[in-house]
Amino acid sequence: MAALQKIRLFFPLLALAVISPPAEADEPLHRQIDRMIQARLPSAPAPLADDAQFLRRVYLDLTGRIPTPQEARAFLADGSPEKRLRLIDQLLASPEFPWRMAHVLDDWLMERRTAPGVSRTQWLEYLRRTVEQNRPLHLLLAELLQADDHTPQEATAFLLARNAEPHAVTRDVGRTIFGVDLQCAQCHDHPDIDDYNQDLYYGLFAFYTRTSLFTEPKSKRKLLAEKAQGEASYTSVFDSSIKKERVDPQPPGGKPLPDPKLAKEQLYLVAPAKGVRPVPRYSRRARLAQVVRQGTNRYLARNVANRLWAMMMGRGLVHPVDYFHSDNPPSHPELLERLADYLIQTRYNLRGFLRQLALSHTYQRSSLPPKTLPAEMLAPELFAVAQLKPLRAEQLAWSVMEATGISTATREAVRSQLLRDPKMRDIFQLDARRAALLEQMVQHQLARRMEGNVRAFVREFAPPVGELQDQFHATAAQALFMNNGNLLRSWLAPRSNNLTGRLLKIKDTNKLAEELYLSVLTRPPDESERQAVAQYLKGRDKDRPAAVQEMAWALLCSVEFRFNH
Amino acid sequence: MKCRYACGSPEHALHRRKFLGALAGVTGLGTVGFFTRPAVAKQLQKKQKHMLVIYLAGGVSQLETWDPKPGTDTGGPFRAIPTSVPGVHICELLPHTAKQMHRMALVRSLNTKNNDHGMGHYQMTHGRNRGGLNVPHVGALVNRMLHPKESPLPGFIHVGRGGDIKDAGYLGPQYGSLGLPSGGPPAGIARPKGLSLEADMRRHKFLRGVNNHFLAQRRSAETEAYTYSYEQALRLMEQRHVFEVDREPEKLREAYGSHPFGRHCLLARRLIEHGVTYVQVNHTNYDTHHENFNFHIEQLGEFDRTFATLLEDLASRGLLEHTLVVVMSEFGRTPRINERLGRDHWGRSWSIALAGCGIQHGAVIGKTNKNGTAVAEREVDHGHLFHTYLQALGIDSTGNVDVNGRELPVADPAREPIEELLA
Repeated sequence: MAALQKIRLFFPLLALAVISPPAEADEPLHRQIDRMIQARLPSAPAPLADDAQFLRRVYLDLTGRIPTPQEARAFLADGSPEKRLRLIDQLLASPEFPWRMAHVLDDWLMERRTAPGVSRTQWLEYLRRTVEQNRPLHLLLAELLQADDHTPQEATAFLLARNAEPHAVTRDVGRTIFGVDLQCAQCHDHPDIDDYNQDLYYGLFAFYTRTSLFTEPKSKRKLLAEKAQGEASYTSVFDSSIKKERVDPQPPGGKPLPDPKLAKEQLYLVAPAKGVRPVPRYSRRARLAQVVRQGTNRYLARNVANRLWAMMMGRGLVHPVDYFHSDNPPSHPELLERLADYLIQTRYNLRGFLRQLALSHTYQRSSLPPKTLPAEMLAPELFAVAQLKPLRAEQLAWSVMEATGISTATREAVRSQLLRDPKMRDIFQLDARRAALLEQMVQHQLARRMEGNVRAFVREFAPPVGELQDQFHATAAQALFMNNGNLLRSWLAPRSNNLTGRLLKIKDTNKLAEELYLSVLTRPPDESERQAVAQYLKGRDKDRPAAVQEMAWALLCSVEFRFNH
Repeated sequence: MKCRYACGSPEHALHRRKFLGALAGVTGLGTVGFFTRPAVAKQLQKKQKHMLVIYLAGGVSQLETWDPKPGTDTGGPFRAIPTSVPGVHICELLPHTAKQMHRMALVRSLNTKNNDHGMGHYQMTHGRNRGGLNVPHVGALVNRMLHPKESPLPGFIHVGRGGDIKDAGYLGPQYGSLGLPSGGPPAGIARPKGLSLEADMRRHKFLRGVNNHFLAQRRSAETEAYTYSYEQALRLMEQRHVFEVDREPEKLREAYGSHPFGRHCLLARRLIEHGVTYVQVNHTNYDTHHENFNFHIEQLGEFDRTFATLLEDLASRGLLEHTLVVVMSEFGRTPRINERLGRDHWGRSWSIALAGCGIQHGAVIGKTNKNGTAVAEREVDHGHLFHTYLQALGIDSTGNVDVNGRELPVADPAREPIEELLA
């Protein structure tokens, strides 16, 4: 019971939630978001983004790439007031959405780690399928924590990537599942953060202290083993009188979960022996998974809400995203609680949740602050102006390939290959389901064919493996890659079906400027930009191909391209 | 870490912009580089400290180098010779180095409790045992703490094997190392065929225009870092000559030695001279499980003359007083000589050598027992050394570094510097 008393109320500010006006029963979440964000603003926020800005942003966030010029033209020409809503739904249903989310989830859960025995391709495919089938997100998380004979083999990746080492697992389960970085509390109560104490750390640790890496003797396959005995205990390195012989498993924000009493001969389904993987009758790991499967743990719900919010808005309500504690309160506590509730009520429906975020005016604000906006309104935690979000390595790769026309050319090649046989063409035209299947197959092929290109960008642009992936780093080596690298250079060499090839067919400089800006920056050029393009082409009739490549290169290397704005 | 909009406020950012402004004034970049302004270059160099690590990969024998035990069961066939510091003797395989001892110091009481190559390399360059935290390589830390933002060259370079942005650990890739595996200019530094300097400058000018248009009201620390990386790349391309050892006089090249290690050390000196903050040169391979003595004659023969030339050259250019030089390995070698006349991995009682700035010249820290099988006095480990390197470079090793808003200790809080080694 002493342990229970030690649990501190995580957000003293939560009391506020009770007195804030109750949501109207039928008020959609996106309106509630805007209302709660608005409530903290001292004055009017930035206006909504124009169509072009919104279009680029939502494509990047939901599909991981910029739109093609055709897609951009269609959206910009559409006069319907419902077009943003329609686009959001269209992108959430697109075959690219699960691919994009697989990377979002990988960044979040694995931070690009590789697990022995589960290839990156297998792991990403498992995540992609999870999203494609619209499985509730918390069930995926529960599977990763459980990773036993009852869960898919790919689910072992999360624990195997940490070598099933209980301290490494505790730290990452804390950070990625519950949003708390308990690293320091391993050896002593955190010196600066009251919530992060050794009880919290070892409560979580106790779920994994019996788990270890097991190598199957014959196949050398890496598996997870668990024993039925073994307790978590600790002594503070600062004060050796502070210690505990036995800490019961306890999830953050939950009750202690002592083991059921079992007779000694009942402890195991498979008893430990040399070369044999033990299987306990009662699994602590499965017990923690059960907590997550229920979905109602507040730490879990807040963390999932915050991670997804940060993905869309460029900054968590709690920031950094793995640093939930009372001295680092959320910028909008009542909103975070509301989002957590919504996730619980909707069974962690990823598409449904992102849809609400995307529909909010908060998401759709311009990133360009009006000149009259007071400086204090620029504070990112106010969400009064859209944040600039650096593109992740994969987003950057796919966007460069889209802008240069490489993706479109490959898509078309794949599609015509699939439809070469008239019988196949007829089959794909039978119904909407089969038409969608064609798009899925095209997407699969495209992803496979571009794998090497994407890897080249990942090598240069991805943050280190095992670190929070939302950090932004700009290095000279990256710039050299863009400046001198063969990849970009070959994509910019004029071909019949790529960007520069297309541009060279346009004689009128004004039209050329339009095609260039729409293809790369997803917007028409303004007057000064049209002039700059005309100026650049002046006197370059003889080496027009070079001039066009130079301009296209410059736009691809621009800040506007590098960030989602 | 995300920065607020219009964040021009941090001083360094302002400086950088001023600097970039100055640079823009002389566009063409091909003509005027930063270090062609001698007054500024000198001033910078005077203030800037450097670290140069000579890494004897595989694990050099302490008995055949810094802690000879002639005439004992473990001593092997070599004698000890006097050095330029009275009373200090080292192995006779290092006659040239012996004459440099007055610029050096030795630590003879190292116990790192490890016999694994990977772990040893990690310990010695990260100052801790590998664990949960992704701590940075000493080069990345020094890069972050000491490298001037205005420098056209990167702050952390591996000559020969090694070099990885991941060296930076939680500090982030911009502090990680650049590898020069061939001992020449870095990969990707050459403009591709068909792209003239003129054309490159033209498109960069267009790019700056595009950026200014977008950034008018959206400048942040991140956008600054991004545009800065392109300017950095351009300046690095301009610095190609720094990486070209053949520009050195033939006589000096001969003195360093025409073998890769000699050329790499000469390149290291050029890099430090031009403002690179941390340079690491590898010399392989000292993993002498067989024929320890023959191998050490050969390897140290190469090392000795080159290393002595390097110290002499650094000193004569006034660089040594700002440069901490460390000769390290992942561990030492067993005092016991095995049946193949080899020595195996040994982390319990071994030595390293230091030279240059911030240390007591001629100091010898600690002692091993008579035949070198255990530390007898003043036992230290990689954690103490790490603190000591930083202190010698003028960095408070008990301080913190801010990583995305989190304060993390720069060195192991459970260790402290070796005070009597510091100047």
